[in-house]
Parts: sequence; C-alpha cells; structure tokens
Amino acid sequence: MELRPSFQIPALIKSLTDVVLPAVDPANKLAQEQGQLIVGMLHLMAQRLPLQYRYDCVELDSYLKLAAQLAPQAARIPEAGAALAALTAAADDGRSVLAGAGVEPPALEAANQRLRAAVGALVTAAAATADDAALRAVNTAVMDHAQAQLLRERAWVALQGWEGPASGLPAVETLLVR
Amino acid sequence: MTQAVIDKNRPSPEWIAELRRRFPCETEIDRVLSRKLERRAGPPYAPVTLAQLEAGTQALLKTRLATPFTVRDCRWLSGGASKLQMAFTLDWTPPGGAPTTTPLVLRMEPSEAITETSRLREFQIIKALEGVVPVPPTYWIDAYGEHLPYPAIVYGFANGVTKPTASSSGVSGVGTFMPPEIRETLGQQFVDHLAATHRFDWQRADLSAYDRPAPGTQALEWALNHWERVWEEDAHQDVPLMRLTMAWLRRHMPPVDRISVVHGDYRLGNFLYTEADLKISAWLDWELAYLGDRHEDLSWCAKRPFGHLAEDGKTFLIGGFLSMADFVARYEKASGLKVDPLRMRYYDIFNNYKAVAIVLATGYRAPRNGKTHQDVLVAWITGIAYSLLEELRTQMAEVL
Repeated sequence: MELRPSFQIPALIKSLTDVVLPAVDPANKLAQEQGQLIVGMLHLMAQRLPLQYRYDCVELDSYLKLAAQLAPQAARIPEAGAALAALTAAADDGRSVLAGAGVEPPALEAANQRLRAAVGALVTAAAATADDAALRAVNTAVMDHAQAQLLRERAWVALQGWEGPASGLPAVETLLVR
Repeated sequence: MTQAVIDKNRPSPEWIAELRRRFPCETEIDRVLSRKLERRAGPPYAPVTLAQLEAGTQALLKTRLATPFTVRDCRWLSGGASKLQMAFTLDWTPPGGAPTTTPLVLRMEPSEAITETSRLREFQIIKALEGVVPVPPTYWIDAYGEHLPYPAIVYGFANGVTKPTASSSGVSGVGTFMPPEIRETLGQQFVDHLAATHRFDWQRADLSAYDRPAPGTQALEWALNHWERVWEEDAHQDVPLMRLTMAWLRRHMPPVDRISVVHGDYRLGNFLYTEADLKISAWLDWELAYLGDRHEDLSWCAKRPFGHLAEDGKTFLIGGFLSMADFVARYEKASGLKVDPLRMRYYDIFNNYKAVAIVLATGYRAPRNGKTHQDVLVAWITGIAYSLLEELRTQMAEVL
C-alpha cells in the first residue's frame, strides 16, 4: 500500500508551500497565519510519525517502571487500596501489551518490501519454465493472493471514490485480521 | 533480482546501464527515461513563476524570430496531471506575413512528470497530424530546456471545453457525464478522428524522433520494454500481479497487421470542443504517441473511467457517447480497418499494465522526490491503481 502518511504528508506540504499559500490574500491575516500553522503542523507530523510507535513504547515502559516504584509505597497507604488495585491491573495489562510490541513499523514495511520483491522475482523467473503444471500452480497462488490483497488496498482508498458510492467495498477495519 | 537494495532515489550509473540493456526501447524514449534517472538525485522541482516563464519564452522566441515581438497576458492553464501550461498572447510578424496577434500555449515539463515523455516527439506528431485531425498548430520547441527551465513546446491556443460547462468530473476528466443531446454529434467525430489517426500515412511524415518498427511484434516489444522499464525504474513496492501480467504479455504478443500512429491517451478529457457548434476543436496530450497497434487506442478509450452508463442503467457508453457495438461498427466503417476482439483483449490487459505503471510506480516516485508542480494531485491519483489492478486481476483470471 503506497498511500501512507510518509508519502502523503510531504506532497501536502509542497502543494501548500509552493501553490496554495502564495495565492492566499496577504490582507487576510487569519488565513495567512493558519496556513503557516498547517504547514508547520504537517512538518511536525512528518518528522515525528516514524518515531510515534517507539515513543509510545518508551512511554509505556517508563510508566510501568513508575508503577513498579509506586506499588510498594501505595501498599502502606490504606486510603489508596482501591487505586492500587486499579494500578496493578493496568500495569499487568501494560506489561502484556509491551511484551507483544515487536518490531517497529519501518522494519515491518521494509520486510514487506523485500518479500514483495522476492516474490516478484520468483514470478518472473518461473515464467521461463516449460513445466506448465508448475507454472499454473505459481500463477494460481499469485492470483489468489492478489484477490485478498487488492480487496484490502481498494478498501484502504475507498474514501477517494474511484469505484463510486456503490462499490460495495467492506470497511478496511474488517479486513485487517490475520 | 535485487530490487529491495537498489536506491531508486539515487540511481547509480551501473543500474541505469543495466536497465537500458534489459529493456531496449525507442531511441528517444531511452533518452528521456535515462535523463530522468540521471537527474533524479538532483534538486526537487522548484516553483516557476509566470514572470520566469514569460522571460524564458521571450528568450526562446528571440532565437526563432527575426522581427520584434511582444509576449503578453501570461496566465496559468489548469488541466492534466503531467505538464505545466501557460497561455499567453503574442504580437508578432510571421516570416513573410503581416503583423498579427496569436493566442498561444506554452507546455513545459516539470522536473519529473507522472509520464516522462519527449517534447520533441510530441511536437513532431502534432505537426504531422495538422490537417488530418483537429490539433493545435505547433510553433516552436525548446527540446532540451535551453531557454526555459525545462523542455517545452509552444502551440496555438485552441478554443473549447473538455466537458460540458454544466458537468462535473473528477481529476483529469475521469467521471465526466455527456448529456444525450450532444452524444451523436461528438461521438461520430470521436470515432472519425480516431480512424483518421490510425489511417494516417506516417511513412512520409517528419517523425525523426520515432523509431520505425518492423512488421510483426517489434513495436509491441518496444512498448513492453518501455513500460516494464518504467515499472522497474519507479515502483516502490513490487506487485507480483504485475510480474505475472508482463510474463503473459510477452508470451502472447500478437503481430500487428498495420502499423499506425497510436495516440496513447485517446479518451474523453483529452479533446476540446466548442459548445456552440459541437465541433471537436483540438486533440491534446499526444505525448504518449508511438507507432504501433491501433487496438491500444481502441481498448483504452473504452475503459470504464472514460465513459458512463446510458439512461437504461446497463449500456456502457464509450467516452459517454456510444455503445461498444456502435463504436466498433462506426470505427470499422470510417477506417476500413477491422477491430479484432482478441487483440482488443490483449491491449486491454496491456493498457491496465501501462496505467498501473504510470499511476502506481511513477505516481509514487515523482512526488516522493518532490519532482512535480502538483505533487498532491499526482499522489492522489496513485489511489486509482488498486481499482486498475483489480480489473487487471479479473482479466488475468480469464486468460490464464
């Protein structure tokens, strides 16, 4: 899927900077100011987006450490009994989530890209075979995979309206299941 | 295959040489694609002002005109996803003529476009077709960007609209509705001009920027190499379906029965017509033209985004004008050339491959590097690739 924020945001910034903002009425100070703020906010988003996941993991880890420090202290405070129980439950949940947080999104994207390239190269190489049965099997696997893959991709961009309002595409959320 | 480790944003000379070797295509196409890669690591597209374009146009004309002239009334033209266009008025004296005033259009490339093409080819084909089909008169060319920031051509301003004034549409004319009362008149011209293009005797034309293919499959091989090269050069993520499709296309190349001028983007949205008399005044966007099989144009203009359903809710109207049966019958009558259903199907698949290469590969790569004057529009168009790929998938399921 190419339409992701790391690709989209720089295009938005360039359009706003090069085309839209120079055309905004200089006398409209409110529009001028908000236009600049939009560009600034988009720059911030573009810069921070790759770090968002790592940031959240670090933050969760730091709060787990804080909770671990607080728990024995809270145990000595009767008035904090209910709050401590809630904290303990939240910390258990947080540890479980953090344990399940694996690689970062850029690594996931890079692995996808490597695998796509490897599959593509195999498809090209297989096309040279004289073994019709083997070729058919390769083609069938690729076609079956493409059907599910394209349904996800079409659902991802459905809001753009390329397939019209009656496309019948499912909500992408329902397709993001392993 | 080492796609994952190649830095396509900073192409090495070795990689460029490898691509040229693997995908031999027409000389001029090879030149513009190689130039694109050689320049890619350079700066992004820098905004160009009307004043800069006016100065560049004056510099170009000074080398072409021996008498005084004035460039005035410069203004931007919108439309299209590929090139910058500036309308202007020229007060001048044509060689051997009287002083006159001519409305003109400057059409210039950005740093990288969603379709990387040759201004020289575009200039030559439009000039060759003057008097054959309605095209804007061509005047001058800055083929290598010697006077303007990037390569450009100057042609006559054609009056007209790309869609009914009251109609709405999406980007690049996609989704335009043609009302019933204009379909017959415009539809017949739509067919007649396509027939005239395909029957045009290109052998006598000055088309030095076009390699002349031998009968058989050479034109198609060049075209397949062209678009697979574009895919290799620009695609970010590989798509196995594209690999599978290209292998099929290469295995099933149909020989051409007649080598024609192929417009390459013949469709609703790429012609102007005058609303008062319903006359097509100009066919535009010849940048993808080449010498090949007419079935590419025939199947391309029949694609769903370039037409709509008739009032019965069932019959698809090509270009918003004619049903497929009516279109084919009129085309065969006008051209004297047959429409071969098998080749229609082949080129339908070819066209989807080409369209995906344009919108998903170059449509990603050019804005990724900030290379166009409208990155946000090009990035937006990338989204249509998945509908095209789904259509390609269903087509491939039928032929495999």
